[in-house]
Amino acid sequence: MKTFVQKFNATFGADMGGPVIAFIAVMLIFGLAADNFLSFGTFGSVAFQLPELGLLTLAMLLPLLTGGINLSITFTANLSGLAAAWVLQAHGGADAPLSAFVFACVAALVTGAAAGALTGAAIAYTRAHPILVTLSMMIFLRGLGEFLTRGGDVSGFPAYVAPIGHGSFLGLPIPLLIFLVCVAVWHVLLTRSKLGFGLLMIGSNMDAADYSGLNTRKIVVLVYTLSGIMCAVAGIIMLARFNSVRVGHGESYLLITVLAAFLGGVNPFGGFGRVLPVFVALVVLQLLSSGLNLMGANQHLATALWGVLMIVVMAARTLASHYRIFTRKKA
Amino acid sequence: MKRIMSVALGLSLALFTSTVSFAAETKIGVVVKIGGIPWFNAMEAGIKEQSAKLGVNGFMVGPTSADPALQVRAIEDLIAQKVDFIGVVPNDSKVLEPVLMKAQAAGIKVITHESPKQAGADWDFELASAKGFGEAHGKLLAEKMGGKGSYAVFVGSLTVPLHNAWADAAIAYIKANYPNMKLVGDRYGVAEDLDKSRSTALDLMSANPDLAGFMAFGSQGPIGAGRAVEERRKDGKVFVVGPFSPGQGAKLIKSGALTGGFMWNPKQAGEVFVTLADRIAKGQAPKAGETIDGLGTITPEGNTIIVDQLLKIDKESIDKLVSMGL
Repeated sequence: MKTFVQKFNATFGADMGGPVIAFIAVMLIFGLAADNFLSFGTFGSVAFQLPELGLLTLAMLLPLLTGGINLSITFTANLSGLAAAWVLQAHGGADAPLSAFVFACVAALVTGAAAGALTGAAIAYTRAHPILVTLSMMIFLRGLGEFLTRGGDVSGFPAYVAPIGHGSFLGLPIPLLIFLVCVAVWHVLLTRSKLGFGLLMIGSNMDAADYSGLNTRKIVVLVYTLSGIMCAVAGIIMLARFNSVRVGHGESYLLITVLAAFLGGVNPFGGFGRVLPVFVALVVLQLLSSGLNLMGANQHLATALWGVLMIVVMAARTLASHYRIFTRKKA
Repeated sequence: MKRIMSVALGLSLALFTSTVSFAAETKIGVVVKIGGIPWFNAMEAGIKEQSAKLGVNGFMVGPTSADPALQVRAIEDLIAQKVDFIGVVPNDSKVLEPVLMKAQAAGIKVITHESPKQAGADWDFELASAKGFGEAHGKLLAEKMGGKGSYAVFVGSLTVPLHNAWADAAIAYIKANYPNMKLVGDRYGVAEDLDKSRSTALDLMSANPDLAGFMAFGSQGPIGAGRAVEERRKDGKVFVVGPFSPGQGAKLIKSGALTGGFMWNPKQAGEVFVTLADRIAKGQAPKAGETIDGLGTITPEGNTIIVDQLLKIDKESIDKLVSMGL
């Protein structure tokens, strides 16, 4: 047992334990409880639902790793989506050529990056707490979006946009493929790049990082800019999936992204965390919610169980770390 | 460790046996705007009762918030679950278009409610037409006022299409049938705000001594106007009609300050979802001139079935409606 744990930790990392155990438990329980759970349909459903929440979680992940948080992600995503929608509308709506769509995507990414950079600069230069800054940003973006759209929605997109949200390529949902690419990019960014190293150092100890000669301000601005760009990707996917853009789309995802990140072993105080466990945690959350839907359970119960899962995983993690310290002392 | 394993195994086996599936039954999943509010609790009761009666497996899925994204997710899960019918009361008709088309492509029939001309739906049914609903209120007010005197109209906002369609129909009906009744001012967009409705009604009563009626479309309008009438002790002289939540207006209805109004019954809507699905599953697609439980005689326009199954809210019916939790 002990050697297995050591081997597992060596291969996948210790923070993978919680999500993987939760994954196995969810698969076992639902596989046995609902006879139609282990089917192609379920996994198709999960694969299509995962990306929008997943991309927003990636957007949340970087700020969390620096010890901050980005509460404005859903509204940044929708505002980016709005930018894309307007570009499409300006070039003929449903008849817009492919080039207009490329331009629309660029507009979305620039909007997301600008919103992120603004947030990052406010945090880096005022040294105000990220909760305050991003909360203000969230209210600002929401108000701006509501003002520009008068609370309504923008729709009427060319037919080739729909497959980005609902189509498949080689049997895999296109939104899932986009999400997997983003996961890979974030993984490389965190493990192989200078920026990834720097942001983890900031998360561990901002002052120490500063004194060690890291340009902490630049890193913080970059982190929130990247978070904004990831929001824009989520915004484009949401535009395609929901066939329209409205400021309120996906409002309910905000806190779930934080939950997914913590479930994936990200340290709430920043500095420690990896992308892959977060990915597994997202899959677990989605399986749990789809599985409960499959069994016809109440949706409010699903929310409650997400909370329970979170508490159980945190308790298990604390127990595991005690166990580790205990065995080390003995040896 | 062994003991834990055996407990876990036993537990999952218990779960397994408790959820024996109903393979041959028609499976109907209805996704509503939001779960846990009185309106959709009543709808769920309707779905459950009618399913038990017809021997089908009907159930309701109520998202935890009125976010259209959650409805998309719920529908994706229903597709995975391989239901035979998906019923929807959309939060946003455009958002649901692609996912409903996906459901249709998977061979699932889609029935919508409160969303006429929904793309991606096989059938849509409405328990009240804009014209019928407006005219019913116009007629009620005219009868109470004895066909004479002036009246004022409140709507939720001048930009709410449905409220204004109701108001148009009601005003046109009164103009055509009761020429001695006079509309005061234009319509007032205050009816979603209780206090604004109350103060506007007070002002209008002061400014127009011959004012004898208020017609209010919007959740708070009838209540606000009713309170104003109660404050001025004009009950029996000034009449207030409009749709409102029975629980909220029960006291005013009983005191006579609020005359009454019409609504449609969410429980009945729940029953119709199941009835329609059951009929279509048996190969009896709804046709013009047919009589269907809960809808009456239907004349579908395209795939939209609109009927006027209005439920009167007045002194007699209020207790029953309140006891339904509405």
